[in-house]
Amino acid sequence: MSFKQRLLHPEARLAYLMMLPASLFILLFMFYPVLHVVMMSIHDTTRLGHLRDFAGLRYYNETFSDPVFWRTIGRTVVWTVVAVLVKTIVGMIIALLLNQPYRGRRFSRMLFIIPWASSVPISAIIWRWVLNHEFGLMNHTLKSLGIWARPPVWLGEPLPAFISNLWVDTWIGIPFMALVFLAGMQGISADLYESAEIDGAGALTKFSRITLPGIRHIIIIATLLSALWTFNDFNVVWIMTKGGPAGLTDILITALYKSAFEWLRFSRAAVLAVVTFVVLMALALSYARLYFKGEND
Amino acid sequence: MAARWKTKYTPLVLFLTAVLLVIMLFPFAVMLVTMIKPSFEIYATPRWWPINPTLHNLVAVWGEYRLAGFFTSSAIIAFGTLLANVLLCIPAAYAVARLRFPGRKFSLYFFLSIQMFSPVIVVISLFRIFVELGLINTYLAVILANTVFTMSFTIWMMTGYFRAIPLAIEECARVDGASRLTTITRIMLPIAAPGLVTAMTYTFIWSWNEFLFPLTLLRSQARFPITVGLYNFVGRFQTQWELLTAAAFFALLPILLLFFLIERRLVEGLAAGAVKS
Amino acid sequence: MKKKVILAFTFVAVLGLVAMPLFGGGRREARPQVTVFWALYDGLTEDYRRELESAFMAAHPDIDLDIVAIPWDNMYDQILTSVAAGDPPDVSVIGTRWLLELKEMGAVLPVEDYVSQALLDNIAEGTKEAELEGVLWGLPVAAGARLMAINKDLTDVVPTTMEELRDAARDAADRTGAYGLILPGQKHTELTDFVYYFYAAGGEFFEVQADGSLGRSTVNSEAGVKALQFMLDLAEEPGLVPDGYLSQTRMDAHPVFYAGNAAYVMIGAWAESSLADAGATFEVEYAQIPGFAGHPSQPLVVTDSLVMFDGAGNPEAAAKFIEFFYQDEWKARFDELIGFPPVTLSAAALPQFDTPLYEALGEAAINAKAWPLMEGWAEYDDRIWDAVSEAFLGRKTPQQALDDAAAAIDRARGF
Repeated sequence: MSFKQRLLHPEARLAYLMMLPASLFILLFMFYPVLHVVMMSIHDTTRLGHLRDFAGLRYYNETFSDPVFWRTIGRTVVWTVVAVLVKTIVGMIIALLLNQPYRGRRFSRMLFIIPWASSVPISAIIWRWVLNHEFGLMNHTLKSLGIWARPPVWLGEPLPAFISNLWVDTWIGIPFMALVFLAGMQGISADLYESAEIDGAGALTKFSRITLPGIRHIIIIATLLSALWTFNDFNVVWIMTKGGPAGLTDILITALYKSAFEWLRFSRAAVLAVVTFVVLMALALSYARLYFKGEND
Repeated sequence: MAARWKTKYTPLVLFLTAVLLVIMLFPFAVMLVTMIKPSFEIYATPRWWPINPTLHNLVAVWGEYRLAGFFTSSAIIAFGTLLANVLLCIPAAYAVARLRFPGRKFSLYFFLSIQMFSPVIVVISLFRIFVELGLINTYLAVILANTVFTMSFTIWMMTGYFRAIPLAIEECARVDGASRLTTITRIMLPIAAPGLVTAMTYTFIWSWNEFLFPLTLLRSQARFPITVGLYNFVGRFQTQWELLTAAAFFALLPILLLFFLIERRLVEGLAAGAVKS
Repeated sequence: MKKKVILAFTFVAVLGLVAMPLFGGGRREARPQVTVFWALYDGLTEDYRRELESAFMAAHPDIDLDIVAIPWDNMYDQILTSVAAGDPPDVSVIGTRWLLELKEMGAVLPVEDYVSQALLDNIAEGTKEAELEGVLWGLPVAAGARLMAINKDLTDVVPTTMEELRDAARDAADRTGAYGLILPGQKHTELTDFVYYFYAAGGEFFEVQADGSLGRSTVNSEAGVKALQFMLDLAEEPGLVPDGYLSQTRMDAHPVFYAGNAAYVMIGAWAESSLADAGATFEVEYAQIPGFAGHPSQPLVVTDSLVMFDGAGNPEAAAKFIEFFYQDEWKARFDELIGFPPVTLSAAALPQFDTPLYEALGEAAINAKAWPLMEGWAEYDDRIWDAVSEAFLGRKTPQQALDDAAAAIDRARGF
């Protein structure tokens, strides 16, 4: 079949029609705004974000020659990688636990979902209180159980503050991972496990030979989405530390917000937005390759 | 078989579950004890159980603020987003999963690419668009904005689930003379129901918890959802943790109730679907 | 067959999009609508907001008033977003320090053209900070100098210099085991907790050029370094300031004082209502924030203004709201709730403002100094606070940190 024939094939036409509403919607409410952001990054802007003179790549040069920018990039990468890893591993453990038959597992499933169900801004605010140096119950508990006699000032020192943000983001993301993995695991036929058991396979073998391959697609999608969300997680960092102290817990998205909404430097913020976009695009493409691996279309 | 599982693994499972639950629920435990502390115990030497537990904070927060109004707004926004998601995403997901056409991969990338943008990036431009459309300060504006950001997840989830359904099932139905629409609504969707429920849950939570869009797109106190309503508490009660935690507690209740209602379908539906096929 | 399917899908999708406005509540009212962005001051109750709203609408049934409560933290962003999108509120409370920015954007209307002469005459002269080049752009809504609150259960000393304050705080801490002084180590919307010390050392943020405009940053002057070094010394003395000061904004730190656990705090007029809210039982004395030895006391004064926005559509109706709000019945109650001194002459004469707190505030106002009024202040303010943080964290010396901040500010302003 020629390309044109394939394009006009009734099945293809049906496909395009079915995708039309969603696509139009995305073009209007997503790509048009993004286009505007790209325009802002190559123009001077007023302090209200209106375009003025063409500036070429000046704002890109300015940004790329700023050491703070590169430190923020590095921090964002660490932030994303660590958070997604921990979410995936802990999420997997929880999913495996919930996949076991025991009395009360429905109840514990309910409980595990709570952090995800709770609103992110509210959770972050509560964590601020939990981590309060002097009056918070986290340090109180650490001290009174003898786990840590002199815990750090969680939200005041750069590294502990970064770890706190990282943990809260992770904590919010774990239940989602667990839930999605669990859904995948329950879709795997019990026969597979039974025949593996007849062959004398142990728990680990069953996990690596049946469970993991069985939910491969779901793992790929879930970790990708999680990476995208984590990279873009504005609320946690903003509410917990505002990127402080001294910008040392800023990730790209909070630096961007600060540039745009606090400092009114829209062109600079737009450059950061474009960088964000490029990084995430690269990530998504490599993932998509993984997703389609072993398929012949 | 179940009996063997129980004797062999159950103690370990229970132990690990308990440890993880303590970690995951820690802040909520803090929330529960803080909201029953009288205000003068908040900044005293920290202790878990209050010396003089009181329900005063709950009464005060419920009484002075009209929380019910916030909940209604949140529900309208969340269900609106759900509806828009179903209508826009299921056809698209079906097309990508089941139909052969040039540009199939590209479409998946295209839908996925939405996830690359954060609401922070587009919020000003979206604001302008909604001003042009005359939709500022309407629920519709928030619903549309939420929909944009949840579509990608729904499409990808549904695509994954549709693809997992054996082609034979669908072909059988089509041979029996069922139309595409019937096949989708009568056969594909019920089998993929757990996926749909997961995607819808995600969408619901996302829109229930979304903060930046209602904050910027809504203007009337009466239309604020619970996130914005609660954030405004924070502005006022940042220091009054006993009231803030009480308000957070009320905000958490409805969504927990919802989870309790759909939770069975959420995970177990998939197993049922697999058995049927 | 397929056509039918396609039609059905398109139909459903379109129907869905069209049907959504049904519960979108997007109908347009014909009556003039006035939207007010209302800052959530400490002490201002939700009841007050609702009562004001309904009282106004009862008096002006032809106007639809919507008072939208917004936390301070978020006020600046909210206003900018709505102005940037061309859909500003009719009236908003702003920090007067944002006025120049908004005026440069052409976003605000001169309020003096819209409200009555009687109202303008009733505003105390000293509070008209929103006057630029002879035009009054906004009415003062809350204007108050900062002062010091002292827990009399922990100390009797009323220090007259910063050095005395340090000694008295140390002494109180040693004697009682409570903290001597509250020192927030994180910023809450403004540079406030640095500027107390900076102004006390006679500091100026910028040099003034021959034409009266602001020149290079002088935050790294001797006064700046002295102030920052002094803060560091306070922080390093064990037990003098709260352990977790590094993580505390003033919103986290002041409650330590309210709870009776600190002897001194530099604070605003809201202290009284907040102390009452927290159920404090100790005796409090209000005094001036001292200068360093050899420098006069120069407390910070913060004014917030009520401004009208251009392009909101109903300036006349908006002005009616302002007139209504500035009646003693509403404005004096507002002042009392948030604990700021009255800005209208008629309210100032009321008996409820004849207390030690208001007396101290009146005295503070005499020497008080405001924020610099300039475009881009939010960014420079951030940079200076980052310098303070870096000094606290020991990453830079005060001199280095402030030098770097001054250089960054000058660069951003094109010097």
